[in-house]
Amino acid sequence: MALSKAELVEFIYDLVKNAQGKKQLKAMDLQKAVLKANPDQDKNMVKFAIKELIDSGRCVYTYFGGSFVEIPHEEGAAKKV
Amino acid sequence: MAERITDIGPPKFDKFLPPVIKDNYGKWKYHEILEPGVLVHVAESGAKIYSVRGGSGRLVTTDFIKDVCDIADKFCDGYLRFTSRNNVEFLLTDQSKIAGVKDACKKMGIPLGATGHSVSNIVHTQGWVHCHTPAIDASGIVKSVMDDLFEYFGSHKLPAQVRIALACCLNMCGAVHCSDIAILGIHRTPPKVAHEKLRHLCEIPTTIASCPTGAIRPHPDKSIKSVVINDERCMYCGNCYTMCPALPVFDAQKGGVALLVGGKVSNSKTPPMFSKLAVPYLPNNPPRWPEVVGAIRKILIKYAEGANKWERVGEWVERIGWEKFFEVCDIPFTFQHIDDYRWAYDTYRTSMHFKF
Amino acid sequence: MHKTPLLDQLESGPWPSFIKDLKRVAGRKKSAADLLGVLERSYKDKITHWKHGGIVGVLGYGSGIIGRYIDLPEEFPGVEHFHTVRVNQPAGWFYTTQALRELCEIWDEHGSSILNVHGSTGDMIFLGTTTDQLEPCFAKLTAKGWDLGGSGSAMRTPSCCVGKARCEWSCYDTMDLCYQTTQHFQFDMHRPSFPYKFKVKCSGCPNDCVASVARADMSVIGVWKDDIRIDQAAVAAYQGGEIKPRGGGSPYAKLDVKADVTDLCPTACMSFDGKKLSIDNKNCNHCMHCISLMPQALRPGTETGATLLLGSHAPILEGAQMSWVIVPFMEMEAPYDEFMELVGNIHEWWSENGKNRERVGELMLRLGMRAFLKGVGLEPVPQSVKTPRANPFFFWHAEDFEAEAAGRKYIK
Repeated sequence: MALSKAELVEFIYDLVKNAQGKKQLKAMDLQKAVLKANPDQDKNMVKFAIKELIDSGRCVYTYFGGSFVEIPHEEGAAKKV
Repeated sequence: MAERITDIGPPKFDKFLPPVIKDNYGKWKYHEILEPGVLVHVAESGAKIYSVRGGSGRLVTTDFIKDVCDIADKFCDGYLRFTSRNNVEFLLTDQSKIAGVKDACKKMGIPLGATGHSVSNIVHTQGWVHCHTPAIDASGIVKSVMDDLFEYFGSHKLPAQVRIALACCLNMCGAVHCSDIAILGIHRTPPKVAHEKLRHLCEIPTTIASCPTGAIRPHPDKSIKSVVINDERCMYCGNCYTMCPALPVFDAQKGGVALLVGGKVSNSKTPPMFSKLAVPYLPNNPPRWPEVVGAIRKILIKYAEGANKWERVGEWVERIGWEKFFEVCDIPFTFQHIDDYRWAYDTYRTSMHFKF
Repeated sequence: MHKTPLLDQLESGPWPSFIKDLKRVAGRKKSAADLLGVLERSYKDKITHWKHGGIVGVLGYGSGIIGRYIDLPEEFPGVEHFHTVRVNQPAGWFYTTQALRELCEIWDEHGSSILNVHGSTGDMIFLGTTTDQLEPCFAKLTAKGWDLGGSGSAMRTPSCCVGKARCEWSCYDTMDLCYQTTQHFQFDMHRPSFPYKFKVKCSGCPNDCVASVARADMSVIGVWKDDIRIDQAAVAAYQGGEIKPRGGGSPYAKLDVKADVTDLCPTACMSFDGKKLSIDNKNCNHCMHCISLMPQALRPGTETGATLLLGSHAPILEGAQMSWVIVPFMEMEAPYDEFMELVGNIHEWWSENGKNRERVGELMLRLGMRAFLKGVGLEPVPQSVKTPRANPFFFWHAEDFEAEAAGRKYIK
């Protein structure tokens, strides 16, 4: 069954959180993971769920050669080492 | 906090168009180049717009922009534009004001030109001013080459226009690969792994995933918590350094410059062409890069002497043959010139049509 | 101010000196002074001192800000953070001084006062500011009607040539298409969700002044289908030396219409008998050579539109590609529904099938042109190839047999 908007946001947040540091996920990876678990989910809802995570600051877009959705963190380049 | 405005896009262009353009939009009939750097476009209505074109350093300051605005305010009712090759164009309808624009540009050190059969401004990337993977600087080499080729910027002496571009590494964010002469920064060695820094700064799985050729593996000694690079697979793109600042790709001694020639994007006579490798390596020699400047001048002079009317660099080379190009320009032919990447066969000669 | 003996050598010479220019603001901007300092260091060390920052941005966007940090923060604290802001340029790069002065004011207040007019993609590049200045700078920009351009794996800022604003050759309204495309894809420009970058460049004619064939995933190049318009009196004036060739922009004072124009026509579709120029327009491949040489005598036809070519990119990863023809002719009239729909379909097919960092042109090569055409709803046309295949490795699908049985050429 399709997830509600709020459930979908949390589902995506958990995907990002569990992958953090191990694999960088793109927006499309998230969409594919959602659809795999919930085949009847509306794609557009996924798009706007990601937007909600980004707009709230819980997730950020990053760019490291490709663009990913990640949990905000201090990157290596910003450290004085 | 006021509500954030997002996704409005740029202002619509018609806000910035001079009245003569609004009135004659899509109704232009022909143009003439009155002198190097000065164009007139004539509309079907008979209306005219004059454009005075000058070179800029591309890397500029707000002071420069304000100076340029002062000129446009004084002579052009505040209208100006920039070109795809970082030239500035002052737009005016009153022919008698052209002299004023020219004088003002001269005072400011803005050279006029970049029209017709000239060497226009060099499009280029950021280099050491801002980029994290360059092999070379960009603005400094461009300044040095343009100083040397200055006479060709403000004249129409060449058989055709010559477009020069510079990219400071093979990622080519300037997409220089279809230029008459392309200046390319090259790394010649893989990144050096700073193991001690890496463990503090970088995520190992994502660093490994960042390599487009799969050349990065975990360090076999797990206690080191770092990575190793398969030198033979690395093509020096620097994407791992983008991900992980403990993998610098640059090398002060070995980095340098390559020149590629013969590209174009226009369809005139011949289809668009890629630039091809002419000089595989020249030393990285700031602040004036004399070897690069000299090599480009030599190619340009040989082209100017040898080309037929209207022939672009690439058309000239194709006509005389690459073996003749190397001979005429006195450039040694090396292993590096022969393609052995993915589509190499396309470039091998399969005919008897060659010269000794 | 740092001592910069190497950079100082770039102050002389006739070409505008970026060093002189940077020094003008270095007195009032610590960041500009330190930029000169670190650049001098790079000239000495022959290496860069910048590190990539992949996380900074403005809230809600994943585009428009490129993070940069210095590897010598103690020595050059003014550029410890030195992030770039991409400001989406107006189509055709037209400005009023008022608009430029407003932009300068914002950048003087919130950044280094250093900029590029313009960057490779087309945006105005504000070069160098700190993380805390990004939001206020963005707020000031949007309040004045400006927005950020694209970066990362997103729709990139579309750009275009001057088009109908000031060129008699433009076969469609490049500036309007560029503007409308930019507006149509705002969501995808600011929220990177593609496999990699996607660039659109609009050129009004086959001279391709924005190099779209070389550096746009979607190259839109203006073209005409009907006859080149000829003014025979002007042709005679060129032949007689009364009008200079190429608008006066060449070293040649007088045109020999036969030797310079018709003999160089790549399809040999023109002839000149000393008085009259004839063109077999059905065989013209619209290369523009004759028109460029005689702008007062020849103009493109009036049945105009654009050719769509897809796939060009710089060398990463498979080697550089130029775009190839996918739609030989499309009418280009506002609101450009057919174009927007096709671009949307391409995004969808590519997002569904593309690997991380795979440009759409590379994906097409990997999966094949057939998969692409079917995926986006286009039919095969001979204009899209230079030659048909020379090998016997062509294969048949069940749908081909079905089409054959139903007496159809293709699937539909």
